[in-house]
Amino acid sequence: MSLPGFDYRAPVTIEEAVALRLELGADALIMAGGLAVVVLLRERLARPAVVVSLSDIPELQAVAVNGGLRIGATATHAALARSKTARSIAPLLCEACGHVGSPAIRNMGTLGGSVCHGDGASDPAPALLALDAEAIIAGPRGERRLPLVKFFLGALTTALNGDEILVALHVPRPAAGTQFRFIKYTATSAEAFSTVTVAVSITRDGAGVCSNARIGLGSVAPTPLRARAAEDLLRGNKLTREIIAAAAAAAAACTNPSSSAQGSAEYRRDMTEVWVRRLLAEMPA
Amino acid sequence: MPHLSLTVNGDKHELEVPANRTLFALIREDLGLVGTKDACRQGVCGSCTVLVDGVPMRSCLALAVRCQGTHITTVEGLKADGKLSRLQQEFINAGAVQCGYCTPGMLIMATALLAENPRPTETQVREALIGNLCRCTGYVRVVRAVMAAAS
Repeated sequence: MSLPGFDYRAPVTIEEAVALRLELGADALIMAGGLAVVVLLRERLARPAVVVSLSDIPELQAVAVNGGLRIGATATHAALARSKTARSIAPLLCEACGHVGSPAIRNMGTLGGSVCHGDGASDPAPALLALDAEAIIAGPRGERRLPLVKFFLGALTTALNGDEILVALHVPRPAAGTQFRFIKYTATSAEAFSTVTVAVSITRDGAGVCSNARIGLGSVAPTPLRARAAEDLLRGNKLTREIIAAAAAAAAACTNPSSSAQGSAEYRRDMTEVWVRRLLAEMPA
Repeated sequence: MPHLSLTVNGDKHELEVPANRTLFALIREDLGLVGTKDACRQGVCGSCTVLVDGVPMRSCLALAVRCQGTHITTVEGLKADGKLSRLQQEFINAGAVQCGYCTPGMLIMATALLAENPRPTETQVREALIGNLCRCTGYVRVVRAVMAAAS
């Protein structure tokens, strides 16, 4: 089926994009890589009068170190997967980006687009949550920053207002010695949506006591999740077998999965427990 | 209507295209290059893959207006001087073509792989082709053909 008719605008600066967003309001649909947008258009799930493409704004593609890591919203998954700059701060995110879909999808899809689509099955989102990432949002009243954990509100629903544009994601530099693990577990094949995606970030002191823990989960709820109850169990403790088992069970209890071709709700919950346990257990002391 | 200038398989084109035209529709319907196929129309199957400035992309999910000034390569552009590319010839030698519907996408994807990595391992070939689905289950011979082209 062909796409419905719409006008097309491609601003070349962020200021111009924000002004267009404000001027067009609900008539506009913002497009980054286009993977989600073109499918929404084709399926008639969105009927915008105007599609505003962000792909002609070079500033939005930049990946730079500034204390932490600033990732322009339209940096592609492929660019991030191979970016030495990104890897120097957020190797966990680079690994997650390398598992999105297939190579051609990674060449087109953008990190900001994925975040704004707000799909609970996103692979990079759990990594961003495990890294305490923030959304940097531009609007008519200037820029605001929002922790990503507050950005995902519901299925395909985010905290982005109708007059705003996501311009970047900020990942703080992790504490020295922080360890990371990532798994995209699929029951079918590697390019499909996952059964469960788990991203873990653990900081321990010299005595092996966990001072900071983050567990991001994907595909097991309407939004990407943080397993806070599991993080609380780990913090202040050594990663013993018992603590790891309790945290894995707590992570599974945080989920609210639905059944799909990638697994039943029950299987997804079980696999959440299995993979949180395995990722924690395989971390060297 | 937006004006678009782009190069497809070495030929320059100046076109007026509506904003809702996909690159896929432009290639097949406006330019008549029917080697590029579509099936899923949501980026999963890989049969519509073309090179945009040398980078594999899904033409079914790309708006044509976004391809201003780019160089597109479709399966018709893989041969040189009227001769099939080494990769295309190896697909024939290996019997890697069954119904043939997925073949243009496979050839485009493998061409990009070999341009970037002329000596891939079998695992790298399989990873590169993971987003190209064959409903005839012909992957073994496809991988063999790509490995032969790389040898």
